[in-house]
Amino acid sequence: MLPDSPAAPGGLNPLTLLSAAVVIAVTTTAINSWAVSAAVLLLLAALLSLNGLGRKVLPAAAVIMVPFWLSLLLTHGLFFHEGRTILWTAGPVRVTAEGLEFAAGMGLRTAVFVVVFLAFSFSVRPADLMALLSKYRLPPQLGFVLCSTLTIAPAVSGRARRIAQAQQSRGLVTGPGAGGRLRAVRQQAVPLVMALLHEAGSRADSLEARGFGGRGPRTSYREVPDSPAQRIFRWLAVAALAVFLALWFGPGWFTPGGVR
Amino acid sequence: MSSSSLTLPASGQAAGRNRRLLEILGGASIAATYVYLVLAQPTDITNGLSSGSTLLALSGFLLGAVLLIAGVLPTIPTSTLVLIPVALVLNIVLGQFIGSTLVPFYLDSIGTVLIAVLAGPAAGAATGALSGIVWSLFNPTVLPFAAGAALIGFLAGLAARYGLFRRFYLAPVAGFVTGIFAGVFSAPIASFVYGGTSGIATGAVVSAFRAMGDSLLSAITKQALLSDPMDKAIVFSVVALLVYALPRRTTLQFPFIRRHRVLAGAKTS
Repeated sequence: MLPDSPAAPGGLNPLTLLSAAVVIAVTTTAINSWAVSAAVLLLLAALLSLNGLGRKVLPAAAVIMVPFWLSLLLTHGLFFHEGRTILWTAGPVRVTAEGLEFAAGMGLRTAVFVVVFLAFSFSVRPADLMALLSKYRLPPQLGFVLCSTLTIAPAVSGRARRIAQAQQSRGLVTGPGAGGRLRAVRQQAVPLVMALLHEAGSRADSLEARGFGGRGPRTSYREVPDSPAQRIFRWLAVAALAVFLALWFGPGWFTPGGVR
Repeated sequence: MSSSSLTLPASGQAAGRNRRLLEILGGASIAATYVYLVLAQPTDITNGLSSGSTLLALSGFLLGAVLLIAGVLPTIPTSTLVLIPVALVLNIVLGQFIGSTLVPFYLDSIGTVLIAVLAGPAAGAATGALSGIVWSLFNPTVLPFAAGAALIGFLAGLAARYGLFRRFYLAPVAGFVTGIFAGVFSAPIASFVYGGTSGIATGAVVSAFRAMGDSLLSAITKQALLSDPMDKAIVFSVVALLVYALPRRTTLQFPFIRRHRVLAGAKTS
């Protein structure tokens, strides 16, 4: 997420970014071919690098995708007994071309999904999201939970660190074995959860005093950037996606024989 | 801690009905998607998994989770609502940490179960669904599991409602049973959307079952039935330890705990 700053006029609306992300993710998932997913992935990587977002999005995506790819390789690369083209075999292990293709297809398809949605979340501001939610009359509680989670996460880890330091200065020594470690965890977790519950209670009072629980319509001081061109793009993107899905799956895909 | 709004209530009969409708539609969307996936599962994966099933699973579960949130969230009192971000941070921090270790567990629902015990099944379900959606801003792969997380929150709330947290030894049993439901529920999502699991340790368990000749769905279901009940038993025990370690003054602030005598020794009001 971007740090909060006044919205840039002429910038992109979060909904425009979201509709682009959904179109890319849904079409690559529907096509379901490793070659198409790889091409889309390369294109996305190039686009994000040009944009300057690549340095943030690509490492974050790699942290998620590398264990996932290894897990897929382990599951389908080594044991895919539906495969017919055997490349290498040793004991129960059977590396088949079909298994590797399946792992590549799933891995690359998921990578596209992860990269587009990470790119979305790295390029929107929480405040813009909150303003959008109140514009479309969605429950204000949703905006509160979303933005509050994003802002208290660093505060919680800071508090956890301070509690650990305070307990250590009181003489907390992590004892040997599982029992000792458990006691140490308990001595840090209980004050943390208690402090968080207490803080939440005083936050509830402040919110109530400002009419948070009221049911009337709300207005936002924040103007989310938008333009007629972006509105047209969003409608066109959604319509094109609907037409593509209707053509791709055709009328008969619900019957088991027609499942692609 | 105030639990009711200070502003005057508007005449909200119709709004209440609409919310109930949203909750029912959300639950129905999740149930229908699950039934479709289990009944119409393609048995032969050599031609690749059906991408139609994948899209259907993604959209059905996501729609259900969003409808549930829209229906439940406005009914939650502010004193409970402010706990949800705290729960989400606990889920995400612990889940991220455990996911990066080589343990075939998740421990990503401690916050959800904590809210469910303190505030009831509806708040638990909303917290679970929100947890999936907010976490997906950092890790998009958890998005399809939002509906499963809602189920865990709902079942944990029911367990608290019917007194399973009153005896310490019953909490892990309730967690174990919840884990069976959660595992059976999340296995089709893992297999249809991702074709496997996202962790290396869980992947190793799946490949062990595959090596014994299981189909992909049954291998993932067996892995989930190994991991999930143990995982939820641990989570429920941790939450029980935590709520009993909290001062009585803190836990009794929650109307759900007072009304249903969730914890041993707590007086009814």
